[in-house]
Amino acid sequence: MLDAIVPVIENRPLTGGHFVLSVRSPRQAQAARPGQFAMIRLLGHSDVLLRRPMSIYDARPAADGTTGHPGLQVLDFLYKVVGRGTALMAALKPGDQVGLLAPLGHGFFAEDYLAEARAAEEVLHVAGGIGIAALLLPARELAASGVQQKLFFGGRTQADLVGVYEFKPYVAETVLATEEGSLGHRGYVTAPLKFYLEAHASKRLLILACGPWAMLEATVALARRYGQRCLVSMENRMGCALGVCLGCSIRVEGEGHAAYERVCTEGPVFWSEHVVWGGDMPPKT
Amino acid sequence: MAKAAKHSRQSSVASGELKRAPDLGQVTAAEPRTPNPEPRVAVTIAGVRFQNPVLTASGTFGYGQEFAQVIDLDRLGGICVKGISADPMPGNPPPRIYETDSGMLNAIGLQNVGAKRFLEEKLPFLRTLKARCVVNVFGYSTEDYVRCIETLNEGEGIDAYELNISCPNTRCGGIVYGSDPKLTGEVVAASKRAARFPLFVKLSPNVTDIAVFARAAEDSGADALTLVNTFVGMAIDAETRTPRISNVTAGLSGPAIKPLALRLVHQASRAVQIPIIGIGGIASPEDAIEFLIAGACAVQVGTANFYAPDTPIRVAEGIEEYCRRHCIHLSQLVGSLKLPESGAAPAQEV
Repeated sequence: MLDAIVPVIENRPLTGGHFVLSVRSPRQAQAARPGQFAMIRLLGHSDVLLRRPMSIYDARPAADGTTGHPGLQVLDFLYKVVGRGTALMAALKPGDQVGLLAPLGHGFFAEDYLAEARAAEEVLHVAGGIGIAALLLPARELAASGVQQKLFFGGRTQADLVGVYEFKPYVAETVLATEEGSLGHRGYVTAPLKFYLEAHASKRLLILACGPWAMLEATVALARRYGQRCLVSMENRMGCALGVCLGCSIRVEGEGHAAYERVCTEGPVFWSEHVVWGGDMPPKT
Repeated sequence: MAKAAKHSRQSSVASGELKRAPDLGQVTAAEPRTPNPEPRVAVTIAGVRFQNPVLTASGTFGYGQEFAQVIDLDRLGGICVKGISADPMPGNPPPRIYETDSGMLNAIGLQNVGAKRFLEEKLPFLRTLKARCVVNVFGYSTEDYVRCIETLNEGEGIDAYELNISCPNTRCGGIVYGSDPKLTGEVVAASKRAARFPLFVKLSPNVTDIAVFARAAEDSGADALTLVNTFVGMAIDAETRTPRISNVTAGLSGPAIKPLALRLVHQASRAVQIPIIGIGGIASPEDAIEFLIAGACAVQVGTANFYAPDTPIRVAEGIEEYCRRHCIHLSQLVGSLKLPESGAAPAQEV
């Protein structure tokens, strides 16, 4: 983990108020692992204090090739404008600077996760909206080790289904869903997921999920019902991401002092059965 | 460390013994200064020497170790650790924090590992630092506070206690003690009797007259005061008509509260003779210097640690630079506010 001021090299608009922010930071890019996140600080805005937690969408070499350094140079962050912080982010231009604390948290392949993924016959990525941002790097790493993968991706409208093209090289199939039916299945993404789990009940699967709380809760319920294991990447408001403010704690299995764990430190990726669903719902971001 | 000496009613700054004129809260350096003195920013509070007057605030800095990767902890004056209770506490359900303009609301609910685990797991690291270790103590009853302090008394490497009688986010205890001067006196006196180390008392800003509470703490044996804890506030999601924080009300911190905190430090410093540690929205050296001028002899940096962890170090450097530029000693800055002749200050006079 490194706290640095880094230059913006691109801030590319996509559909539906989504953007990809690219910053040059070789040390942080090279340290990033699939499923980790970063805290982005907007400089020069004393009314917007806290850094914003963002999934590391991609870590890649510089596209312009001007640096002459081999290896990963750039970190990409896929985000949607939802409030004042992200609106200010959308105004960033190449050459501007941001504060970047990264990489943070346990990724998808910490400790026993990777072994579980390799042992699975197929890995299902389940993404809701901007949740897709946490899953691209895991998909690439799993593809490199020859794991079969599928993507189930839902959004409110077609404009929310950003990043499908980037995912394509790593997955055998992409199943899309939109709430109003403008693309793919009409309704929630958990409907086609349920069909698939039912049809492949004998397969050993691993689900990697990231998205809104309600989608995660429904996905986890399906995983439990069909006896499949599921890793969830959790989202919450964060104060520090260093594990001290305890603002991002979520309810987990455990009593007393062990009843809460920090998304920033113990997470953001948890085994689904470790999280206590229902009840205390984290806020919408 | 030996039992703390009878609490001193003044702070002393580095080489110069510091004397506060009780009526004006002013400070003069007693020792003659050398012609071209190197400004010193070390400060001694109740016998505890801090290498600079900048501490990190309780609840914003964990147990110190969490920041070891990000900043040089040896450059801090002191670390106030997350509030410790006799028994571990789980904290409040989420959502616990919400950002507001230039500030943030929190209702964490004092989630902590408890006094025993603090001694075993957290204190050994803190002991190795140059920064002084101040342990923030919390309880639901006077007995809780005393029991927590008695457990902590076993610890080697604790430099002082900071009694938290001002947490706005727990149902009983905390702020209840900070909202009634009689209860403030009671818990401070009992804690002082139990404490093996100097006792700082962190007061709530959510009171009508801060001077009453400052004096209650001083009269009951407090060695120093920390002013202030967070201001009670709230935020509502207009779309869902629900509170943004599960606890409904929460403590407001950050630059938004600085003018409010500064006024309280100014008024309290005129009401008591014990040292005051100023806190509330400090994010720059200038902010801290304002608190020192208002009457604080040291400061704490809180919310800024979350988004700019180098703030306490920058603040300490900035204070030193200010003293050098003005050719003064830190002691000459403390309480040096120049009030207008017309006496427009509404401060409570002793």
